[in-house]
Amino acid sequence: MIANYLATGAFYVFAAVLLASAAMVVTSRNPVYAVLFLVLAFFNAAGLFLLAGAEFLAMLLVIVYVGAVAVLFLFVVMMLDVDFAVLRSGFQRYAPVGVLVGVVLLAELGLVFGTWTTSGLAQSLRASPMPDSVTNTEALGRILYTDYVLLFQAAGLVLLVAMIGAIVLTMREKKSSRHQIIAKQIARNPADTLVLVNAGLGEGINILGIRRPLPPPGKVVHGDHGHGHDDHDAHAPEPHVHGDH
Amino acid sequence: MIYAVAVFAPLLGSVIAGFLGRVIGDRASQIVTVSLMVLAAICGDVSFASVAWGNAHTGVVPVFDWISVGDLHIAWALRFDTLSVVMVAMVTTISTLIHLYSVGYMSHDSSIPRFFSYLSFFTFAMLMLVTANNLAQLFFGWEGVGVASYLLIGFWYQKPSACAAAIKAFVVNRVGDLFFAVGIALMFFLFKSIEFDNVFGNIQAHMNATYHIFGQDFRSYEVIGTLLFLGAMGKSAQIFLHTWLPDAMEGPTPVSALIHAATMVTAGVFLMSRMSPLMEFAPHALQLVTFIGATTALFAATIGCVQNDIKRIIAYSTCSQLGYMFLAAGVGAYQASMFHLITHAFFKALLFLGAGSVIHAMSDEQDIRKMGGLFKKIPFTGTVMWIGSLALAGIPFFAGYYSKDAILEAAYAAHTGLGTYGFVCGVVAAFLTAFYSWRLLILTFHGTPRADKHTMDHVHESPFVMTFPLGVLATGAVLVGLLFHTMFIGDARDAFWGAAIFNGPTNHIMATLEDRSMIIGLLPTLVGVAGIFLAYVMYVLVPGMPRALATTFRPIYLFLLNKWYFDELYNAIFVKPAFAIGRFLWKTGDATIVDGVPNGLASLTSYGSSRLVKLQTGSLATYAFTMLIGLVALISIFLWVR
Amino acid sequence: MVGQLMNWQIALPEIVLAGCGLLVLMVGVLIKKQNSAQLCSMLVLASFLVAALLSLSAPQDVGYNGLFTLDRFAVFVKILVLIAASLAVVLSLDYNTHHGIARFEFPVLILLSTVGMMVMVSATNMMSLYLGVELSSLAIYVLAAFARNDVRSSEAGLKYFVLGALASGLLLYGMSLVYGFAGSLDFASLRAVFTTETAQLGAVVGVVFIVAGLAFKISAAPFHMWTPDVYEGAPVPVTGFMATAPKVAALAVFVRILSMPFGHLLPQWQQLIVLLSIVSMVWGSLAAIGQWNIKRLMAYSSIGHMGYALVGVATGTEAGVRGVLVYLASYIFASAGVFACIIAMRKKGHAVERIADLKGLGKTDPMLAFLLMFFMFSLAGVPPFAGFIGKLYVFLAAVQAGMWTLAIIGVLTSVISTFYYLWVLKQVYFDQSEGAFDGRAPSVSFVAGLGGLVTLSFFVFASPVVNAAEAAARALFG
Repeated sequence: MIANYLATGAFYVFAAVLLASAAMVVTSRNPVYAVLFLVLAFFNAAGLFLLAGAEFLAMLLVIVYVGAVAVLFLFVVMMLDVDFAVLRSGFQRYAPVGVLVGVVLLAELGLVFGTWTTSGLAQSLRASPMPDSVTNTEALGRILYTDYVLLFQAAGLVLLVAMIGAIVLTMREKKSSRHQIIAKQIARNPADTLVLVNAGLGEGINILGIRRPLPPPGKVVHGDHGHGHDDHDAHAPEPHVHGDH
Repeated sequence: MIYAVAVFAPLLGSVIAGFLGRVIGDRASQIVTVSLMVLAAICGDVSFASVAWGNAHTGVVPVFDWISVGDLHIAWALRFDTLSVVMVAMVTTISTLIHLYSVGYMSHDSSIPRFFSYLSFFTFAMLMLVTANNLAQLFFGWEGVGVASYLLIGFWYQKPSACAAAIKAFVVNRVGDLFFAVGIALMFFLFKSIEFDNVFGNIQAHMNATYHIFGQDFRSYEVIGTLLFLGAMGKSAQIFLHTWLPDAMEGPTPVSALIHAATMVTAGVFLMSRMSPLMEFAPHALQLVTFIGATTALFAATIGCVQNDIKRIIAYSTCSQLGYMFLAAGVGAYQASMFHLITHAFFKALLFLGAGSVIHAMSDEQDIRKMGGLFKKIPFTGTVMWIGSLALAGIPFFAGYYSKDAILEAAYAAHTGLGTYGFVCGVVAAFLTAFYSWRLLILTFHGTPRADKHTMDHVHESPFVMTFPLGVLATGAVLVGLLFHTMFIGDARDAFWGAAIFNGPTNHIMATLEDRSMIIGLLPTLVGVAGIFLAYVMYVLVPGMPRALATTFRPIYLFLLNKWYFDELYNAIFVKPAFAIGRFLWKTGDATIVDGVPNGLASLTSYGSSRLVKLQTGSLATYAFTMLIGLVALISIFLWVR
Repeated sequence: MVGQLMNWQIALPEIVLAGCGLLVLMVGVLIKKQNSAQLCSMLVLASFLVAALLSLSAPQDVGYNGLFTLDRFAVFVKILVLIAASLAVVLSLDYNTHHGIARFEFPVLILLSTVGMMVMVSATNMMSLYLGVELSSLAIYVLAAFARNDVRSSEAGLKYFVLGALASGLLLYGMSLVYGFAGSLDFASLRAVFTTETAQLGAVVGVVFIVAGLAFKISAAPFHMWTPDVYEGAPVPVTGFMATAPKVAALAVFVRILSMPFGHLLPQWQQLIVLLSIVSMVWGSLAAIGQWNIKRLMAYSSIGHMGYALVGVATGTEAGVRGVLVYLASYIFASAGVFACIIAMRKKGHAVERIADLKGLGKTDPMLAFLLMFFMFSLAGVPPFAGFIGKLYVFLAAVQAGMWTLAIIGVLTSVISTFYYLWVLKQVYFDQSEGAFDGRAPSVSFVAGLGGLVTLSFFVFASPVVNAAEAAARALFG
């Protein structure tokens, strides 16, 4: 009895959090927050699956979507530094239309679900959700490679296409990838790249303009290791290694 | 069988000239097409002779089975009856002469094989139309004629006006075709067949079938007859759908001759006669035919009186003469209608080719105000133009006299309100016809030369290859009426036409043609002579009169000169709104909504990456919204309709 | 349904084709030569031939637990899809080399997309249907963006992908609504459910969602917005492919899904299809006026043509389905032919795509101009070209079903559309040339010539096609 109440209560908690976090995914201003809310949504959906007795799907959701997809999202969001303000710039403009369409659609779907019934044949047609004797995983495995082998293979082809597509659209063998071309390195002539400046005593730094500003007083500076890349001017006279082919 | 040869020889010529023209050269293309046309003409004329005098029994010449699926059975066959044979003989003969003439006329053109290929194809399409044994085949020929005319009118594509005219001809014809196609579809559903024999055999069975349209019942035959006539109106350039015909002058002159005399415009008249078994039971549709025909005859004649382009005058005269033919068909005198079609073919081809000869002589000048005094320089052309005009004006014993007289008498003999209307219109039009014909003749051939000296010195008679067809056609324009009138409309008509033309049980109009008072019989001739006299007065005796009249009645003059403002009207009603809607959908539907973001594709190349970000908020969102709105609309409509 | 034998041979064409695709992929990867693209294209063409022969000879039955059916309908459509895909591969030979995108992945993607379409056509279960749709679409998204250094191509791919995802969402949502009501995704079971019971509101709204999702795939208005942009941006062979094969397959799915599982819901969905059809015909014919880019023109043209095909679908009769199939058969050749002509539009090594660039083609390249005239007349439905026969059968079916309005609007819009097809021909024949095109590649001439031949001679050999289409239609209704 109590277990029943507990399950019902858990359902409402999971469902409420799922809906709330889904809404936050769409509305939050910070993209990192959005992804984190997505993760939360996945977890709650997994919880719902667990309540429905589909423990395999629940684990799959956590492992694949949270563990891989959402984390990948997070990487992409952080790496690309997508400016969501720009992405949202059209939001104001489209908001009235969007709200209108949304409200009408919602009303219509409300009407539909308000009168929802299922077919009399549905019970007999519906595949049994939980075979008695075996675990969830085993039940899936049994049909996935037998009854649904066609679908399984087709899904495999879909993934293959996705892979080919990713390679075709992103892999650049020539221009932008950074290979070491030894011949070019050997053929380098110092005269092309080096400039010898005759600097007077103590003036060289000023002529080249590479003197770094002094750190503000009062702050502790740990030398300059690890910051070498900030120093653009130091590389300036050296042309890009692959810029000319 | 020689009949099939007459039909397919032009196609062969067209294919050879069209596909091998570059290989075999100009001269060979001409020889091939012309000799195949001659062959076709011989076969066509022999077929005609065998029917007219040899009592060859008529029937169907099968070619091959074509489409046979479901209810629709269509076999490709050539119909061999008097109506078809008459048309085949006329089309092949006239077309051969025009081919021959073109050899001389187009000798300086740069794409001769193309021209001859189109010309032969045009002829073939028309032959297919007239020999069709079912409506589908007829429709194919009908559309083929449309396509060929499009190509030929626009043959000189360097001229923008030629392109415009070609498109106009095609589009106006498509409007007519639309009605025609619907008519065919209705017939198919009524008769379950579109073979002529099946349709005509079952006329009685569906006599009282009706369609319920706009809350009223209409008899099926009336609806079908009206639709067929609307189709014929497009092809035959009747008022409202006539606008393309004068513009079609932009093609080379032999093409105009072919369109106006032998092919294309006669298709509508032919259709009326071919469908006479059905039209006879659609009295209201026939009334419409009478009204439109009579109105066109008068309307086009009024315009012809003030035009200055030599070809345009003749073009409006074609329009007017076609009106006569429909008038005859409308009152049930299909025989007279067909007879006028044949005689008209001869003298109209003659007039056009003669005009071509004049234009040729005048170094491509077409304005008759800049001609004059040409008779002495080109007497042969002048003579044949005189003969053509005499025939056109219906002066006794020339070809036009017999046929035009018969039509006017038929209109009078109908003894109906519309018949009388047709008679009055016809008589007035006959007067105007004579007037503008002589206006043309006098201004072109007589009086003092108004062209500059250089042009006048250059005036020369055309080569033999051009004058020979003129001679043949002139002979035809003199003799065709005299020779054939007994056969077509006289006592021998029943034996001649056989079952090809059907007159309803109450239709005795052909028999009562001769029962009229003396004055009615003489009236067309009298008004013809009066018209000639008026032209003589205005352009020879009192040369200042036309200008004075034009100034005094300026509004009327301008109204006529601008062809009753039909082009302007259509432009305002149909063309501009169509463009406007197109532009609207494109601008707002596509350019504004869809491409909401773009700042021009060119500038995007440099801003490629930023664009990719931008387009997600701009156009993509709109696309997605459009889809969602469409979905919501679909669901709403579904919920609402349910 | 459960209990049926696996009967795996019925999917032999797909299995073999997919296997060939994997082989070609290996060949492409292992042969590191410059011409690996050409070699792979040839291999893919050979695979298509094998698949076509297998489709004709494979046993016709239901199998894979009702997921997959091979019947005469499926065979007819598969042959059309394979022909269209082959033409696209042939078209790509010259174009890709010239534009520096000759990579062996191109034919492989077309092949995999074709496998997806073949699965779609044979699917008798929502799941296999969806996987087929996704397989074919995903490959086309990639193909649209194939010229990745061209901004327009990338944009086309991205737009198509995002909107396609939305459409897939609609499709899935509709399927889930239907499943919620009926408890099954199997077409035969669904048919049984809808035969015995009146459809509940939710299930029918689900059907509306499915219709919307599929309408996107055939670019029927108002789900067509992507079409002009994507057609314009994608490489021309891809556009040619998109305009033919997926349209054929998606329309076939339309026909199958509306006549098999939802056949008894005819009164409910008929109005929707009529509406889609009318909007497509009107929009396609009107918005095309004033286009200056021939690819955009073809986009609107294809929208209109899908409208005409939907006329046949809307009838819900065997004759209507026959009309649709004949229409599609006549459409793919004319369409592929036009795209061949577009590929031939190249001046001094640069591809041009303005309609004005066609000026004077009648003089400079009479043969190509002649073929283009065939295609334009066929698309306009001028007799005796193939397009006329197609329209004839579709409109005939509509009239037989008593849908006069639809037939009349169809004829009217086809008259309007004649205008812009003629506009193109006007430039071709009546305008002064602004410079001739470069020489045509043999592959382009081949497609144009083949298309022209079929378009012209279709009316003579219409009977076998129509008979096959009739048999195919009977397979659905019989």
